[in-house]
Amino acid sequence: MTDNNEKVLIKGNYAIAQAAINAGCQCYFGYPITPQTEIGEYLSAEMPKLGRGYVCAESEIAAINMVVGAVSTGVRAMTTSSSLAVALMQEALSYAASDELPVVLVNVMRAGPGLGYIYPAQGDYNQSVYGGGNGDYKIIVLAPSTVQECIDLTYRAFYLAQKYRNPVILLADGLLGQMMEPACFGENPYPEVDVSSWALTGAKGRESRAIYSLGPNEKKQIQHVYNLFKKFEVIAEKETTYEEFQTEDAEIVLTAFGSMTRNIKAAMKVLRDKGIKAGCFRPITLSPFPHKRILELATEGKNFVVVEMNMGQMYKDVKYSVEGRSEVGLINRPVGEWLSVEEIVEAVEKLMEKNYAASIQYS
Amino acid sequence: METNFILAGFGGQGILLAGTILANSFMLEGKNVTWYPCYGAEMRGGTVNCEIVVSDSEVSSVHKQDTDYALVLNQQSFDKFVHRVKPGGTIVSNSTLVAEARPRTDIKYVFAPMTQIANELGNSKVANMAALGVLASVCSVVSKEYLAKGFEKVMSGKKKELLPLNIKALESGYNILAQAK
Repeated sequence: MTDNNEKVLIKGNYAIAQAAINAGCQCYFGYPITPQTEIGEYLSAEMPKLGRGYVCAESEIAAINMVVGAVSTGVRAMTTSSSLAVALMQEALSYAASDELPVVLVNVMRAGPGLGYIYPAQGDYNQSVYGGGNGDYKIIVLAPSTVQECIDLTYRAFYLAQKYRNPVILLADGLLGQMMEPACFGENPYPEVDVSSWALTGAKGRESRAIYSLGPNEKKQIQHVYNLFKKFEVIAEKETTYEEFQTEDAEIVLTAFGSMTRNIKAAMKVLRDKGIKAGCFRPITLSPFPHKRILELATEGKNFVVVEMNMGQMYKDVKYSVEGRSEVGLINRPVGEWLSVEEIVEAVEKLMEKNYAASIQYS
Repeated sequence: METNFILAGFGGQGILLAGTILANSFMLEGKNVTWYPCYGAEMRGGTVNCEIVVSDSEVSSVHKQDTDYALVLNQQSFDKFVHRVKPGGTIVSNSTLVAEARPRTDIKYVFAPMTQIANELGNSKVANMAALGVLASVCSVVSKEYLAKGFEKVMSGKKKELLPLNIKALESGYNILAQAK
């Protein structure tokens, strides 16, 4: 596989795997699960050739804890999985957030709850953004919408994880993982991060270090949590990213994350042809969430329609962000066939009649 | 302009590979393209399909309900996808394995003996390339020359030896309808 500027037709899963290699991922630990198994398959062939580590772990719990161990030594490491198996990893994510360890986790979402099935869905927004682990912690969550972005955001995930010593989730879905598009790997655009001040590399010639999350000293534990959240304020200030299309004159802003962005863009064009002033807004970082920008748009009187493949998980964040200054509607289907352009257009027209403050649910 | 394709057949007929070659041909032509497979609990002998969207501008949505072209290599796929062709669209069928029936009046039908072409060339595995040849002869968006380049791009290394036979299959498929006239 290439790391130059040649365009290749490649699956999202393979793109993530090769991008991880280009980003300097030294160790991969994982356990197979559809629809992301190609990532592990690819790395099982490529990592040994490069003298890097590949372990097919005995379980997802083992895999993520292996990542925790590896990254604590300052190397870049990753695990990848899907929805129900990411659920198993939540304890380790809480530990990694508290320990300030640069864990990179890729979740290629499939349908839930429970065992669900292998078709794509977006039901892990809450799991990723709000976490299933214990205590107060925050994860950086990046949501690609194209195969090219699977590459770009994998590079970014490794960089942000080390830069802020914070776990990062790349939140893709079965559609992105399985589809092929032309994409370029280019070069990893991010600089090396100096980890020498904290990495556990053996205490020869220096003071010994320890990384742990045990907090028996109440005062220190209080301060620790405050510090984690102060760090995340800096992340929110510097790293919040989003994309906007034709919002300037828009009266209604279609909002989606991940691969659903593709369909709201197409729906926007159809609505514009019908004379409806529609725009698009898409958070790239789901956490930190672009609350500020959404509030600005709401203050200009723009109404929002959130389109997502779940029961309205991001919808709540948009609703929270507008602070009551404009209306927020929802178009959704919990799992399965991606909401089509036609369905979105039809639902938007229905929502307009209800002044946007409603939800249209497809089955 | 956006054009949609569904390729479908038995597992083992090289459907996903044909789709990959077709998608590569579009990429090499400088077009925007997306390839999406059915994925699920599939098995050898079961049906398999992939969807390809090609466009001059950004390809937004995939996983569409209907298609401009369906290329079907077996009966089950014909029965399933004949209903997913847009009015005015075309279903291109492998007449070696698909009965010549026309259940709808609002779409076009193309029948060509793709598996037979491959068998006559001595290798049933190249039926998928013959199929792409037939598709190129009835669909102006698909280029026979770029299909050949797409094949070269996809089949790297030792598999390059297979190029001459596959090009023959592509050509035979491309010419079959003109010959029949």
